[in-house]
Amino acid sequence: MIADLFGRKFYMASDTIGAWVMLILSAILGIILITRAKKWPIIREYATTTHHRKIGVLYLLSATLFFMRAGIEALIIRVQLAFPDNNFWVFQGEKFNEAFTTHGTIMIFFVAMPLLIGLMNVAVPLQIGAQDMAFPYLNAVSFWLFLAGALLVNMSFFMTASPNAGWTLYAPLSTDTYTPSAGNDYYIFGIQVSGIGTILAAINMIVTIVRHRAPGMTLMKMPLFPWSTLITSFLILIAFPVLTIALYILMFDRFFGTSFFSGPEGDPIYWQHLFWIFGHPEVYIIILPAFGIFSDIISTFSKKRVFGYGSMVVALAIIGLLGFMVWVHHMFTVGLGALVNTFFAVTTMLIAVPTGIKIFNWLFTMRKGVIRFSTPMLFAAGFIPTFVMGGVTGVMLSAAAADLQYHDTYFVVAHFHYVIIGGTILGAFAGIYYWFPKMFGITLDETLGKLHFWLFLIGFHITFFPQHFAGLNGMPRRVYTYTAEDNVFVFNFVSTLGAFLMGIGTAVFVWNLYKSFKKPQKAGDDPWNGRTLEWSVPSPAPEHPFETTPQVVSHDPVWEAKLHRAGVLPKASKTRTAPIDVVSWQPVMLGSFMLFFSLAFIYHVTWLQVLLGIAILGFFVLRALTDEHTKKAKEDQAHDNV
Amino acid sequence: MTTYNSDLTGDKKLGFVLYLVGELVMFATLFATYFIFVQDAVNPTPTEVFKARTLIISSVFLLSSSGTIHFAEKAAEKQNTKGIAIWLAATVLLALAFMGVEIHEFRTYYHEGFTLTQNIFLSSFYILVGLHAAHVLFGIGWMLLLAIQLNRIPSSIYGDKQKIFSYYWHFVDVIWIFIIVFVYAPYLV
Repeated sequence: MIADLFGRKFYMASDTIGAWVMLILSAILGIILITRAKKWPIIREYATTTHHRKIGVLYLLSATLFFMRAGIEALIIRVQLAFPDNNFWVFQGEKFNEAFTTHGTIMIFFVAMPLLIGLMNVAVPLQIGAQDMAFPYLNAVSFWLFLAGALLVNMSFFMTASPNAGWTLYAPLSTDTYTPSAGNDYYIFGIQVSGIGTILAAINMIVTIVRHRAPGMTLMKMPLFPWSTLITSFLILIAFPVLTIALYILMFDRFFGTSFFSGPEGDPIYWQHLFWIFGHPEVYIIILPAFGIFSDIISTFSKKRVFGYGSMVVALAIIGLLGFMVWVHHMFTVGLGALVNTFFAVTTMLIAVPTGIKIFNWLFTMRKGVIRFSTPMLFAAGFIPTFVMGGVTGVMLSAAAADLQYHDTYFVVAHFHYVIIGGTILGAFAGIYYWFPKMFGITLDETLGKLHFWLFLIGFHITFFPQHFAGLNGMPRRVYTYTAEDNVFVFNFVSTLGAFLMGIGTAVFVWNLYKSFKKPQKAGDDPWNGRTLEWSVPSPAPEHPFETTPQVVSHDPVWEAKLHRAGVLPKASKTRTAPIDVVSWQPVMLGSFMLFFSLAFIYHVTWLQVLLGIAILGFFVLRALTDEHTKKAKEDQAHDNV
Repeated sequence: MTTYNSDLTGDKKLGFVLYLVGELVMFATLFATYFIFVQDAVNPTPTEVFKARTLIISSVFLLSSSGTIHFAEKAAEKQNTKGIAIWLAATVLLALAFMGVEIHEFRTYYHEGFTLTQNIFLSSFYILVGLHAAHVLFGIGWMLLLAIQLNRIPSSIYGDKQKIFSYYWHFVDVIWIFIIVFVYAPYLV
């Protein structure tokens, strides 16, 4: 569409116009609804909070929003691929490249990550008997940096400059020689800013778990979700800085004329190494917390302690360690030589061992248990066979010689959707249903929850199972169409039908959220007959959840108290100082400054870069001069002097 | 005596050490980048670029500043405000001197035509040593902030703040030692 405005011609694609119209309409509608319901104070409360539960809710809310955006993108991709030689709307060629790039990027960085970090924020401090995260202010900063990065990547579409080099951003395609438009700059800055937030969140998690456990809760008495959070946080701390530097180098290539990844001297393979040294740990970063969630849920709903607790912890640690030694299995076709490929094939296959241990431990936890199939448990039960299928194709892909055939086909697409949706997304849904009472004090509707589960799971298998065969028939990933002679039409058509079933399932979930808030079913402190400390505090979790710090004497302390102490936890004689919660606009301001700072870079506005750069450094000064620790120390001193 | 709790100080120390672990990985990646691209460098080669004299002068300034900040920390433990002020000022001056020498070094390179985009060896040199220089600059700003706060906030919390800073400053120094050993030395000896 071409618009004639102020004597200049503006070109805009119809999909972008549609998106703008929808954005503006929903913004107006949102503002009207919030004003009519007089909810602005709640918005302000959440924007300035540093409380772990509220920040967790913010993570989950934004993740759900981005899940819908990237999900709609997935549906568009599926419609375009439903028929041979299809021309759906504008989604061919370049536009298709943009659609699969933002779908992947948003789903990994802005859906999977915040879903899990959100659940960690809600549950981990409560599970270990902490009053809050170790650094509440930093926690808010992490969230707003994450959101700033997420908004950058999401707004690229509205600015008709979507990233288009795949979520892996392979060089030299991602250098300015081949993709000169602003799209991949949005990727670089969006992921960079949110990545910094993620690193800070990981530091916060580690300190919380290492130093804020209730007295008596030794590491080996800790529930498995905090354990998986701890190991995941270490993976983030080691892996994300590599991505930070990879993006930093690519930024120099795109903005300052260096040629690390292209040209006669540069080395595009080096990008692949850097990306996957980050990227493979990243897939464990998004799966290990889901393992932790499932371990806790399966134990609760089987009324049994986790089978082989010690081996579960060791398996988590081994998976985390091996995660750094397998990155070349994404690069088997690069031609690094038989010896290298063999080494990485073997390390990859090794990961099946600890993962298998975990699968069997979950099965043995359920064995002879008193199983209740509430919605969280349904998701856990659906996860096991689904994830095993993804694991099996993973071992198939790890055979380097065979991988030369599978590489970059729909077989790989099917594999990673089986592990990421089958693991992370099912885990996140399970966690949301499980801990929803701790977030809002109400339970989600069970009937709608079960409907959501079945639609989503069946839709999932219908979508991705046929893609294995499309891949084996030679259909490459990231192509926007195929011919009738390619023998992949039926698989693609069935896959598209399944995708819409998943979409309906997700819509049921959103309907469930709406309905549960409209007609709230009050949850007690302990709606699931739980075993761990979060079920000993009120729902929703208050600002200082533990009025008296419990003394932990065994694994599953709440369960132990129910069995032997009439449900009363023993009190700890010694407690540590709680973190200091504050109410502050600083984190959200910092996030928005980072957003505009990035935009100043993306559109090469030097004066704005300098101005905002100084303003961002100013935040360090502001923080140093106004921090709550100094204030408290001053108050204490004044008190002493009286 | 203040009742400000040592639990919270311990949290901050561990958190900052973890942050430095993340920074260490970042610098390690930049060192790896340098190792890869320095090997086949031509026009210019590292031997044609680096000069021992500036390296020795800048290293003396920066490495001795690790000592002065250590003395500042000792003074803070004894709550010796005058000692803190002297040693902190000395550290700032040494850091400024280091920055001066480094800016001079980069300017010399620039005039000799050894720019960021000349070849990838120089690109990887500048993004590594430049990031380190940015850390020194940030540290100078941090020290000025500490100087403003000295005497205005309770001494115990000032001591904590300065301790965290000396973690940072020692880290910046350790990275500089790595830069001497791995970036410059192989092409000067």
